[in-house]
Amino acid sequence: MSAEAITVTYADVNKDILETLERPKPAFFLMLIGSVTALLIGAVSWAIQIDVGLGLSGINHPIGWGVYITNFVFWIGIGHAGTLISAVFFLTRAPWRAPVYRAAEAMTVFAVMTAGLFPLLHVGRVWYAYWLIPYPNQRLLWVNFKSPLLWDVFAVSTYLTISVTFFVVGLVPDLSAMRDNAKGLRKLMYTMLTMGWNNSYQQWMHYARGYLLLAAFATPLVFSVHSIVSWDFAMSLVPGWHTTIFAPYFVAGAIFSGLAMVITICVPLRVIFGFHHYITDHVLQSMAKVILFTSVIVGYAYATEFFIAYYSGVPFERALFYFRPFGEPGSLAPVADAGSFGFPQIAFFLMVFCNVIAPLPLWRLKIRHNAIALFIISILINIGMWFERFNIVVSSLQRDFNPANWGAYIPTPVELGITLGSFGFFFTLFTLFTRAMPSLAIAEVKESLPPPYKHPDQDHVPWREFATERTEDHNHA
Amino acid sequence: MDQGIRRRDFFKMMAAGSAAGAVAACADKPEKLIPYLLPPENVEFVPGKPLEYATTCMECPAHCGMVVRTREGRAIKSEGNPDHPISQGALCLRGQAGLQTHYNPSRLSSARQRDGEGWKDLSWDAAEKAMADAIKAVSDKRRIVYMTGNVSGTGVEFLDGWLKAVGASPKVVLEPLGQHNIRAANQLAFRRAEVPQYRIGEARMLINFGSDFLETWQNPVENGRLYADMNAYDEGSKSKGKFVHVGPHVSLTGANADQWVKVTPGSEAVLALALARRLLGAGGVTGSDKSRLGDYLKPYTLERAAKETGVEAGVIKALASEFGSSAPGLALAGGTSVASTEGTRVQFAVNLLNLVAGNIGKTVVFGASRQIDPSNTYAEVAKAVERMASGEVDVLIVDGANPLYHLPASAKAEAALGKVKTIISLSSAMDETTAKAHLILPGQSALERWGDAFPQNGVYSLIQPVMAPVYPVKAAEDTLIAVAGQLGLKDYEASPTYRDVVRAAWKKVQKDVGSGEEFEDFWRASLQRGGVFRSVSFSSSVRLNPAALESSPPAVAELSGEGLALVPYPSLRHRDGRGASNPWLQEIADPLSAVVWGSWADINPETAKKLLIGQGDGIRVESAHGALELPANLHYGVHEDAIAIPMGQGHTGSGRNADHMGVNVLDLLPASADRTSGEFAYLTTRVRVSPTGRKGDMVQTSFANRQLDRGIIQTQTLAEAQAGKAPESGHGGGHGPRPNVDFYPLREDQTPGYYDPYRWGMTVDTERCTGCSACVAACYAENNLAVVGKTRVGLGREMAWLTINRFLEGEGDDYKTLMQPMMCQQCGNAGCEPVCPVYATYHNPEGLNAQIYNRCVGTRYCSNNCAYKVRKFNWFNYEWEAPLNLQLNPDVTVRSKGVMEKCSFCVQRIQRAKQAANEEGRNVADGEVTPACVQTCPTRALTFGNLADPNSAVSKKAKRGKGEQDQRVRQYEVFPELKQHPAVTYLRKVTFEPHKEA
Repeated sequence: MSAEAITVTYADVNKDILETLERPKPAFFLMLIGSVTALLIGAVSWAIQIDVGLGLSGINHPIGWGVYITNFVFWIGIGHAGTLISAVFFLTRAPWRAPVYRAAEAMTVFAVMTAGLFPLLHVGRVWYAYWLIPYPNQRLLWVNFKSPLLWDVFAVSTYLTISVTFFVVGLVPDLSAMRDNAKGLRKLMYTMLTMGWNNSYQQWMHYARGYLLLAAFATPLVFSVHSIVSWDFAMSLVPGWHTTIFAPYFVAGAIFSGLAMVITICVPLRVIFGFHHYITDHVLQSMAKVILFTSVIVGYAYATEFFIAYYSGVPFERALFYFRPFGEPGSLAPVADAGSFGFPQIAFFLMVFCNVIAPLPLWRLKIRHNAIALFIISILINIGMWFERFNIVVSSLQRDFNPANWGAYIPTPVELGITLGSFGFFFTLFTLFTRAMPSLAIAEVKESLPPPYKHPDQDHVPWREFATERTEDHNHA
Repeated sequence: MDQGIRRRDFFKMMAAGSAAGAVAACADKPEKLIPYLLPPENVEFVPGKPLEYATTCMECPAHCGMVVRTREGRAIKSEGNPDHPISQGALCLRGQAGLQTHYNPSRLSSARQRDGEGWKDLSWDAAEKAMADAIKAVSDKRRIVYMTGNVSGTGVEFLDGWLKAVGASPKVVLEPLGQHNIRAANQLAFRRAEVPQYRIGEARMLINFGSDFLETWQNPVENGRLYADMNAYDEGSKSKGKFVHVGPHVSLTGANADQWVKVTPGSEAVLALALARRLLGAGGVTGSDKSRLGDYLKPYTLERAAKETGVEAGVIKALASEFGSSAPGLALAGGTSVASTEGTRVQFAVNLLNLVAGNIGKTVVFGASRQIDPSNTYAEVAKAVERMASGEVDVLIVDGANPLYHLPASAKAEAALGKVKTIISLSSAMDETTAKAHLILPGQSALERWGDAFPQNGVYSLIQPVMAPVYPVKAAEDTLIAVAGQLGLKDYEASPTYRDVVRAAWKKVQKDVGSGEEFEDFWRASLQRGGVFRSVSFSSSVRLNPAALESSPPAVAELSGEGLALVPYPSLRHRDGRGASNPWLQEIADPLSAVVWGSWADINPETAKKLLIGQGDGIRVESAHGALELPANLHYGVHEDAIAIPMGQGHTGSGRNADHMGVNVLDLLPASADRTSGEFAYLTTRVRVSPTGRKGDMVQTSFANRQLDRGIIQTQTLAEAQAGKAPESGHGGGHGPRPNVDFYPLREDQTPGYYDPYRWGMTVDTERCTGCSACVAACYAENNLAVVGKTRVGLGREMAWLTINRFLEGEGDDYKTLMQPMMCQQCGNAGCEPVCPVYATYHNPEGLNAQIYNRCVGTRYCSNNCAYKVRKFNWFNYEWEAPLNLQLNPDVTVRSKGVMEKCSFCVQRIQRAKQAANEEGRNVADGEVTPACVQTCPTRALTFGNLADPNSAVSKKAKRGKGEQDQRVRQYEVFPELKQHPAVTYLRKVTFEPHKEA
């Protein structure tokens, strides 16, 4: 493996990557049919919901937010990994980012687009959703800048803008490579997207500067967006939401889930396109390390919440954090069954298992190098992180201040349909992306290769450390 | 250039043109959208201006005075008539919901005749002719039976006269919850067959043997007011009368008691007589009466009473001495749990208790001639049914009576009615009996017709139409007059309408009250006020009838069958079942069980454990007469040896809002009557109870029974209140205030002068609140709240802006119930306001958390962030089934799907009062604004007003002003630690002893 990877040439890279855009494989059609079907189910569900009313969801009084907001936070979280990999790891010069960052960025853009649907999906009158945008109007109506929901509007739209810009800018050199190979309509499309890129030294110099600038610009957003999303909850007074640790807790969770999603996407990509030379075990294991790290943070945050609920002495918090794992307190007799183990409790234990326990095997290098194990763990983490958000959103609302108002929540078929639709939306976009754009960054992969016509050990290799480290890794393995 | 315009001219024209356009655009003259078409003399119909008519509530036989507000010719809201001496401006929830009886979708819109299985519409004239023909066809007119319910005032005389003129049998009045036992017992004890006036307000202690006087018994509105006078802690005199509830079951009335004495079902008489025996020396009776009573009461020893009632001897002893030392006291008996076949004997025993305690003439006053129900006893009704069964009846006319529902299945009314040749129904809505009729001439609702009611000496209450009939139908009385005309009866030719009959009768009323004015003026004034109300002082001394003591002494009632004693009890919402097709009454939760749209069975948790029954489990209840399946509700307030089931559900022919909601408990009962009075006997049978193994079909609105130490409904002891101290903080979170530690500086909304001139606020005295839910019904009526149905309530989607919070404290027999209305707290520092991204909810200058429906996008964040969870979301576009839509209040927007809504303190009423004050160039005075809930509260637990005015009633009660914090005794706000600064101040409930925590 190691020898193979080193012998890859620039021409191989071009060939390997551009080949993915040639004749579509059966896997592509399977993916596309599956995702479009899911998307259609979601679209129909939404149409029915708009027509009949939000009553078709399981949301009720007092649980005003349910699966939709869970999905919103989930997808925003997924959308964190791309920018983290492409911007933060770019600035910190983590060389293993090169082969995965393109796919991760695409994932980010599509995930944020998916997430952006949910605020629209969950409002009662979606046809007036534009009122959340501060636009000058004759009626002198303005928006409430005190509302965390409005911060969300700005945070998410800013993030989407920067992510798209970063994505498109990063694509320019690669698109030019494709433009050179393409014919007909494709050629026209790529020509327009490359904006006159001619691979000159001058352009590369500006490009590098610009990319660095954008990376610096995007880096704080990685942390701010999910902090602001967390403030949707933390700024309220609901027990279980009103917590100061929410911003770091959410950011860690977002990176955790985002990287898990990157692995979920990259492992099949590697198999389908045969990218074993590029998305190496080393790349996967580096991501696994970050996952392990964030898993520990998330686990710590869970523990902190329980400790603070106990230590604060606030009866509302205490009751909620008793409820999450154990169900009703015995003192509700004779009406409620004490210790009932229901949906919220299952969600809680799923969350703890998937996010804290399931990543533990990653402490072993062997597991980190095992793509199948990583894939399984990453799927579990995706499930666990969805339930973490579900837990935060729903169970807190289930047990708030006045026990007379407590309630229960079970998602309905419409909600599940729309959730399925959101996965359909995401994967439709992603599947099309793998056909239309290079899923690996050609230019950056090339950068990590020894330059042609020179002896590998003789000259300056950009990020030499990467090459050596990788070799060492392989020796260990 | 002569053809074109010169540049200079062009500019001139431009300038002139735009100036003209600008002037035209300034519409400084308001345009009238609604033309003033009617002549000014006819002030009756000014569009947009409400018109009010005084009339009488006919939802139950209590006959409270009522004022109905109409808009553009439609009745939109009922309120109590403040001039009416009995109800004094309040209405109960059934009275509030009377509007939906009027606009009920199951009302009949035209005359119809049976046509095979279905119906054939008939013109009104043809229907009257058919009715006259049916009567003509009967040769022996005694074979005509007229069955009616809730007939009142002149109507009694009129009906009797009509039947006499026709030659029919005397009328049969079917009122299932009668007062005949009381009459019979008073006849027995004092030779006075009447219902006395119970002066609850003047009693210093109240012992209630089973009656549900705060729910359905006699006049619950009046009872509620008097009860609050008696029982609620009075800040002035620092006194509080004790209320002890005796019975095998606790319904809402019992839940308000300071002490519940749980007795073996049917043993109340023994307890009453044991108490009487201990109080013989109290001075109520002297001389020969005393010695005779002494002999009579001798067998009722403490030991016997303890053994037979299951109450500890010490408790009886303490109760007797307490009752003796708080003269005048009052002992009441009534309700279904004392209505065994020996029900009259329980009343008699309680009469003796009142007599020995010296209460007769003080708190039990005869001579009021109260007409709670001019009904026939069950025995008389049963006789009529028997006649039908034996084929002696050819024509049965029903008018508001529903024998097929109100008589137990074992009375075999269905078979009996099947033998009647022609059943004619004059009922206004479809019901079980009307569904079996051959000819229907639907009557009018109580808001469309004329009539009157004389509930008490000196109280003459008028019923007048407040609007044109919803459907082209005639009042039953007018139908009778028309039919009489067709029959050629002379007396009825002179009076073409029932209105004339009432008018004529009121000439006599005028004579009775001694009014000297012209009749026309008297009539007009009476219509304006809703009747004539004279305070008549009445008291007549009564003496014990010695012969009564020779009758067999009361003992524990014997119940047939085996298993648990069945206690059927009237439902707070449906009473005997008449209100069941009323959507509001189905949707408003029972305050104790929190059940909507259905039946349930109260069963003691201990018994349930033994029978392996859990909360909400389906159970099968089986007697010798029938079997029912219904859900179980675990309830401490029921004897271990009893099961209690509310009445009024399980309809089968009363329209889709009533049919198949729950079960009819009467199906389990034998058709038996009280041995003395002939009144229907409710407590007669035992039932076998077993789990069905399935979950019951029960929807409850309230989740938890416990407030988990959260201080939502707080209590304090009488001693603390008398000492003028708030309870020590920290002793039991549920009872005392929280430590008031505040790290934050005063917010704007707390600084004096921030609200000027108004800061609307409310106080809720939980000590006065009985949980009767009249406020909830008033809120539904005033604010166009949607009714969503059973399934949606089950999903937590009921739209009530105002709900009754109910929590239990303690366990077993010592448990206590706390109740409190919870509406939007209109916080000064609200959770809802800052989180709304579009300012759909904002803080208005008068302190209201205003909700702007048409700005709302529906994020529901405000609801999530409301600690009190008083905001309700429109999950769907809700429909008002015609003609219910006619009731909608035009002052309040009907909300569409996707919009949040909530209590507005009836902002439309605030606006109206402000407009009126503005026209006079002044500020709104205290008491000029009354939200619907405050207006209807029978116990006056709610006070509303301007907190910015230190002299307003609400300010004085709330004690929120600067420096008033130290003077607070009972005042508290819910969740003060959340710093929401609510505008609603609650007043703690005062208890004799500190409540035990759960």
